[in-house]
Order: sequence, then structure tokens, then C-alpha cells
Amino acid sequence: MLKIENLTKVYPNGTVALKNVSFEVPDGEFLVVIGLSGSGKSTLLRCINRLIEPTEGKVYWDKTDITAASPTELLHIRQHIGMVFQQFNLVRRSSVMTNVLSGRLGYANPWLSLLNIWPEEEKRRAMQALERVGIPDKAYSRADTLSGGQQQRVGIARALMQEPKFILADEPVASLDPVLSHSILQYLEQLNKEGITVICSLHFLDLVHRYATRVVGLKDGLKVFEGTATEIDRAKFKEIYGEEAQEVRATTV
Amino acid sequence: MNKKHSPVLAGILSTFIPGLGQFYAGLRYRGVAVLLGMLFTSGIVAWYGKPIWYLAPVLIWLWNIWDAICAARQGRTFSVLLPILFGFVAMFGIGLAVVGVDFSKADINRAIAIMRPMFHPDFIQKRAESNQAWVEVMVPCLPGRSVSGINEENGKKVTITPTCADIGEALTITASGFWPNTDANLWWEDPSGSVKMIGPGEAAMLVAHTDGSGTLTASFKVPTTATIAVPDVTQSPPHRVYLEQTRLLGGFELSYVGGRVLQGALQTIGMALMATALAILLAIPVSFLAARNLMSGNPFTYAIYFIVRTLLNILRSIEPLIIAIVFVVIVGLGPFAGVLALAVHSVAALAKLYSEVIEGIDPGPIEAIRATGANWVQVVRYAVIPQIVPPFTAFTIYRWDINVRSATIIGFVGGGGIGFLLIELIRINNFRGVGALFITIAVIVMLLDYFSAKIRERLV
Repeated sequence: MLKIENLTKVYPNGTVALKNVSFEVPDGEFLVVIGLSGSGKSTLLRCINRLIEPTEGKVYWDKTDITAASPTELLHIRQHIGMVFQQFNLVRRSSVMTNVLSGRLGYANPWLSLLNIWPEEEKRRAMQALERVGIPDKAYSRADTLSGGQQQRVGIARALMQEPKFILADEPVASLDPVLSHSILQYLEQLNKEGITVICSLHFLDLVHRYATRVVGLKDGLKVFEGTATEIDRAKFKEIYGEEAQEVRATTV
Repeated sequence: MNKKHSPVLAGILSTFIPGLGQFYAGLRYRGVAVLLGMLFTSGIVAWYGKPIWYLAPVLIWLWNIWDAICAARQGRTFSVLLPILFGFVAMFGIGLAVVGVDFSKADINRAIAIMRPMFHPDFIQKRAESNQAWVEVMVPCLPGRSVSGINEENGKKVTITPTCADIGEALTITASGFWPNTDANLWWEDPSGSVKMIGPGEAAMLVAHTDGSGTLTASFKVPTTATIAVPDVTQSPPHRVYLEQTRLLGGFELSYVGGRVLQGALQTIGMALMATALAILLAIPVSFLAARNLMSGNPFTYAIYFIVRTLLNILRSIEPLIIAIVFVVIVGLGPFAGVLALAVHSVAALAKLYSEVIEGIDPGPIEAIRATGANWVQVVRYAVIPQIVPPFTAFTIYRWDINVRSATIIGFVGGGGIGFLLIELIRINNFRGVGALFITIAVIVMLLDYFSAKIRERLV
């Protein structure tokens, strides 16, 4: 269970990205965060694993207060939170294998990891992760030689290496074409069914309907909606996306 | 254009004040530009004061009237090609007036005398061995000063008769123990060591041929200039007559100068290597201080960033050649002064390039690696280093490439290496050596260019 209480983030330049956002994520959920660009979705996800330090508010994971964790404790917490990014955030010049293994850094022997030396067991685990996302043959290619969809699969494999309790996915399909979007989200759905909680920000409402078990809507840093996808009617849609918004579908699937 | 402008008025305005017509027609920047251009051109021409150049402002003035009329009539403008052309002619003219073309001191014969040996570079020579002997002779005959007239060494025997003679008198030389059936060159060497020809007209080598048993006989006269360099003939040591046979061994070998050129080239490359290595050591830490994204956190670090950047810019704007002159004074002539000069300049250049790499780092992977629970050393190892090492390497190779070229020039001011050799060869008029050196420089630079481009292509 993840519990977010009165989370507020004010950037040094005065931008208020989040205002008093509170909600809970029970284990096993596929929670989707929706909202316009700049509504605070990315900031919210990054405040959970403190890639961005929240200004105020608390994030609890079961009994642990993530916001109060010491730097060392924070590393241990992050170790169990996988993260997937819109721009994949792979190290482009490194091999796919190295990128996947880097998901294991929190577990690894710190000295050997600096030399990029990994035990056989970890390499096997990395191969298994790549097999799960269907690209074991790319293990020794340079990351930037892969297509966008393949790179995002490497991103998921990297998150899998962490044996995560939950996965934060920040617009995981926004840089991909519609067909690939489904294949990536299906991997996340599969992981969700195996018991990993997923918190994912998405743009397209049809994808939200298809995958979300629950939805949180943000507008200008405020939580304006919480409920199931079916509860988003026209009025709610206008409230989240503004009066002029038109619904665009990602796919006709 | 929503307003009508009168072309006639525009033309009249521009006739009196260039650019005013364009200004009136709504093209304000163009009007100002025309006026400034006109003033500038007139000023330059007036300052230089050759009547023919007054044509330039007159032509621009005419064009300006035409341009104003077009601007007002069509609301758009004619091409700027014409004034640009005028401008170009003016530029060249001013340059010509200041610098001048002076062929009065040109000497085609001197040019040929230098160029011809350069096209026969002294780099390799045919492999050969030689067989040499000499005999002493007194000039002139003086009582109490005599030589034996016989010299035997290494199985060769040379005899001269008579053993003393005055200028113009005949001498006969007999030699045995030489290679059979081979030409031998004979020449005269006065006591100061300067060589005189004793062949026809004293302008060519005397050549004699050995018979089947390796014996030769040759007659010649004491050269007219034999005692020219001898201050007091009564005290003079003996003169010498040399015989030398050469025969080819087949194949080629590096000539003496060629060997020195290669040595110099090696030294130049070594200088560049050492300078680049020193520069890397300093440039890496400095580059972090000169990276805006790392240093813009607070006013203090930003001040450091600003100071470091300024220092680097100043250092980079001083030619390594000038820095080398300073270091020659400090550490003395030789390659080390050149190395220090190159290193100082390279630190500035590399630190700037490196800092730009650091500024261009993609923050995405850093974020992603931090999210896995990696500590900061691991973040640097997995997200930062893979991003900066290849471009750092590429820039370093590029810098080394530049340093090899600079090291060549730096040799000129006493910094050692191939440049130092070049200035030495020019001073002793050894233009065949200069030719060999040019070829070597060209080959090194071409190879370096090619391979450094190849490697950089792979890295970036």
C-alpha cells in the first residue's frame, strides 16, 4: 500500500507543480495518472521515489515514510521501485546488456559493479528479463541501434531487474506509435497481474479505459478526479482537460 | 504595403540623402544600412584619396537612387548583389592599396635554384661502398720540408712523383691495391681541408680507371688555387691528393639527411604526445569548473565558472608559437619548451571542448540510474562516463592531431623537432633536405588526418 499525503512541490523558480495531492494506492493496482502536459504528473511520480524532493507532504510505503528516509535508506527503497520513462533514458552508447544489468546496481557489489563485472547469475537474470520482453537477440547491441519500441522494452527489462514491488511509469508510450503503445502497456499489465503495483501516467483516454484499474486526474497540480475509468464522463473529461479539449484516440483497437 | 509611396519623391530623397528614399518607402533598416554603407565607403575612399576609387561611392549612390525608386514603386526591393559586388571590389582595392603587389624583388633564377633541389629530395640514396686512399705532397718545394710521397694502408699503396711541386707543375700519381676495372675520382685537398678539382679546367673531377690488377696511373697539375687559403707557404703543412672508388651495392638506403628528418619527425610526434598527455591531466578537472550546468547552482560557483571560462578564453587566444618563445626563455632551447607551450594552449582548448561535452550530457540516463537505487559513484560510472568518454577521446585525438602540426611550427623558434631541423636546413641552403622534410610533413599530416578522422567517426 502506497499512501500519498498532502504532497506539495514548489520549484525554486516559484512554479507550483503539486498542491496538496493525497491518494492511496492499494497493492496490485494499475493506477493511471492523467492530465495535461505540465499538470504535475511527472513531478508526482518523481516525488514518490524522491528523484525530486517534495516541498511538503508525506509518502508512506506500508509503514515506511519515504519522505523521511535517510540517504542510505532511500537507496534501499529505490532498489525496489522500478521506473520506466517517456524517453526510455537508456545509456545510448552502452550495450543493451549493460543497460539491463544497471537495474541491478542497488543489489550489486559496489566495487565489482564499478568495473562492470557481473556474476553469471545476474547475467542469466538479465537474459531472462530480455526474454520476457521478447528481445534476447539484442543483448549485445548498442542501445541506440534499437528502435523506440525495443528501447522501451529494454527500459522495462531494466526495471524488472530490480525485482520491483511497484513500477512507476512516466508516460511510457508517449514517444511510441499507437500499435507499439499497446504492446508496451501489455507487458506492464502482465507484470501487474503477477502482483506488481503499477503507477503509470498516460495521455490517451482509450488506453486509460483499457488498462487502468483506477484513475487519478491532475490539473495544474491539483487532484481533480479519483475513481475508475468508466466514471470519466464528458463533464469530468472537460474538468481535467479543459473546455476546449477533444478526445483523441490512440488506436482503433 | 498598405500605403502608396511616390517613386519620384523616393528617388529625389535618395538623391540628396542616400537611404532616405528607402526609409520613406517603409524599408527603414535598409535605408539606414544604405546610408551607413555610403558613408563608410566614401570615408574609406576619401581617406585613401586615389581619384579612381571615387567611382565606387558614385556607383553606390546611383544604385541607391534606383533602389529607392524600386522600393517605392513595387513595395519590394531589388537584389543587393550589385552593392555587394561594389563592396567586394572596394575591399580588394583598399587591401591592394595598403599592401601592394611587389614583384620588383622577384628573381626567377633564385626560385629555380631553390625549387630544383627541392624536387630531388635527399631522403634515400643508392646503397654504395667506397674505397679511399690519399698521399701527401708539398707545395711549393722548400729545403728541409719534404714528404715521402708514398702512403700504404689496408693493402692499398699510393705513390706520387715528384714529392713536391709549385703551382701549375705536373704530378704523376700511381696507385695499386684498388678494385679492378673501376673508375676512381681524384681530388686535391689543401691544408685547410678545402677541396679543389684537378680534372679538365679545374672544374671537374679527375677520373682514372684501374686495370685488371687494380692499378692506376694519372697525371695532373697542381691546382692554381692550391695555396690561396694558406697564409704562409713556408710554414704550410703538406697538401693531400685523394683517390676514391665507389661501387653500388644495389638497392637503396636512408640518406644522412633523411635519417635526421625521420628523427625530427619522431621528435615532433613525441612532443605532441607529451603535450597532449599533460593537457589531458589538467583539462579534465578544469573542464568541470568550466561547465555551466554544474557551476550555475549558486553565485559562488558561478563566479568560479566565469573566471575559469575567461582565463581559458585568454589562454586560448594566444598562439602556441608566442607561448613557445616565452618558454624558450624560461627552460632554454629544445623540444621541452615546445612541449610546455603546446600543453598550455591545449589545456585551454581541451578544457573548453570537454566542458561543452559535460554541458551536453543527457540527464535522462542519470535519472534512470538514480532511480534503480544506485549510489552516486555508480551513477557516475553507468550514466555519466559512458556519455562523456567517447567525445572526450574524440576531441583529444583531434587535439593531438592539431598539436603535431603546431609542433612543426614551434620548432622554428627553437622548440626542437622537425621545425628546428627545417630552419637549420634552410640556413645551410640544403634544399634537397628541405624537400625531404616537406614530403615527410605532408605524409605525417595526411596520415594523421585520415586516421584521426576515422577514429573520431567511430567514437561520436
